[in-house]
Amino acid sequence: MKMREDNEKYNKMIEILRNSRPELLRPEEIEDKVIRRIRHERSKAEITSGFIETVFGWVYIDWVRRSLIGVAFVLIAVFIYQQASILKQVNNISNQVVIPGIGQGTASSSEFDKKLTIYKISSGLSGDREIKISENQLEELLDSYQDLQGKYKDLLRIIEENPELNKYIEKRLDEEKNNKPDL
Amino acid sequence: MKKKIINLIFNIMKNRKLKQLITLMLVTVASCNQPETIVTNIVHRDGSVTRRIEMRNSENKFEVSDLQVPYDTTWIIRDSMEFTGEGDTVWVKRAEKLFADIEEINRDYLADSGANKDIFRHAEFRKKFKWFNTEYSFSEVIEKKMSYGYPVREFLNQDELRWFYSPYKLTDEKKNGPDSLKYRAFNDTVDKKLEKWYMKNLVSEWIGEFSVLTGESVSNKLTKESLKLRENEFVEILRKDIEHFDSLWQNGTLLRKFIGEANAMKYKTEADSAAITATERFWVDFKPYTVRSLMPGKTTDTNGFIDSAGFLLWPVNSDFFLTEPYIMQAESKTPNLWAWMVSGLFLLFVITGTAFKRKS
Repeated sequence: MKMREDNEKYNKMIEILRNSRPELLRPEEIEDKVIRRIRHERSKAEITSGFIETVFGWVYIDWVRRSLIGVAFVLIAVFIYQQASILKQVNNISNQVVIPGIGQGTASSSEFDKKLTIYKISSGLSGDREIKISENQLEELLDSYQDLQGKYKDLLRIIEENPELNKYIEKRLDEEKNNKPDL
Repeated sequence: MKKKIINLIFNIMKNRKLKQLITLMLVTVASCNQPETIVTNIVHRDGSVTRRIEMRNSENKFEVSDLQVPYDTTWIIRDSMEFTGEGDTVWVKRAEKLFADIEEINRDYLADSGANKDIFRHAEFRKKFKWFNTEYSFSEVIEKKMSYGYPVREFLNQDELRWFYSPYKLTDEKKNGPDSLKYRAFNDTVDKKLEKWYMKNLVSEWIGEFSVLTGESVSNKLTKESLKLRENEFVEILRKDIEHFDSLWQNGTLLRKFIGEANAMKYKTEADSAAITATERFWVDFKPYTVRSLMPGKTTDTNGFIDSAGFLLWPVNSDFFLTEPYIMQAESKTPNLWAWMVSGLFLLFVITGTAFKRKS
């Protein structure tokens, strides 16, 4: 019973609210505001799409699109080529022999031999020529001189002890003496 | 018998080694304390070069006239004394200078009054923009001494050339290492070939100079072309008589063999002048040193060696620039990061555009 009364009250209230609508003072103003807001939304979308159209307008021009795609491929190819060649060159360099320490040290005996060979050929033509060697080279030279002296002594002993060899060498020396000018 | 043995000793003395020794004893043997010098070039991207010189000597004596490379008081100099592993004292002079460009280095070379002042040296720097990378090339060049010589590569194969251009430290290490016999034999082969090269260069230089001095006045038999055709013959004569070269040249025997009796008389003065010029050019008065370089970015190419500190290294010896310019060259590349970014953006732009086209 009570529930029915409540429902009736509620329906009456709704009916009253429906019949008492608010009165719009300036309905044109609201209309304007709504239209402006809709227009603004539309212009935003138009600007964005206009920008995209401008930036990517070239995609509709066939030759420009093809050219830019071509340039992009060329760039990729150049990049791959350059980096691959650098990688290859760097690998080649890293495979090179690493010299222990720095510098070349003092001149070696072979360099000294070269100096002597050059001197031997050219000394007669340039009398005032000097040859400069380091202390180490001089020591090396004296050592090899002593070594050579020892070997000559051994050689002479061997020749003296062997009559056949002695005879043969005497013969060769005589031949050589006859062939070459006596200095 | 005794007389024969004396004769034998005399003849044995004609042996190359001993003759060299006697020759050496007849000349002034100066125990010169030349400093062991290393020149380091640190090349910068803008073409400026920081040049460092390290000179080591057993005496505290660093006269400019004894030094291998130009150096003066405008350099920042540091002197020190060090001890070697054997306990010997070594005096070290370190000098450093920033050269604004290559021209400044070349001016120093031109004004050099050091031990190697008679050698023409210069440096080159090149920078090439290649979009993604910039390429740098730096080289030190020593001009050749002989005008009519032969390149050493015509006498040595690839392995021998590598050996020839190697620093002593490397070759000596090999000659005294585990395969010493093999390397010593190899070294002897190289030396023999080099001796032939020396002879051929000397003869070629003499022919060239002699032809210039005699000019048009000579008969057909003495033109440069005809003498060149007989070059190997001359070399053989020279090689055969090398032991008596001095006296044979002085008494005219060699010249008569080369160009005949009548011409030898007629052109003796020209022949002597040519021989003096040839030997002057052949005998390079030079103190060896070492050049090192550090390039900007990644090193991509070099004709030098690499030392344990990662520097590029070249030994400098007189033989290297006897008949050809000696070029110590290094190339490197640095990435242009801004170009990478620009290219990346461009690719993104093209890819987006293409995708946009498909979508629309």
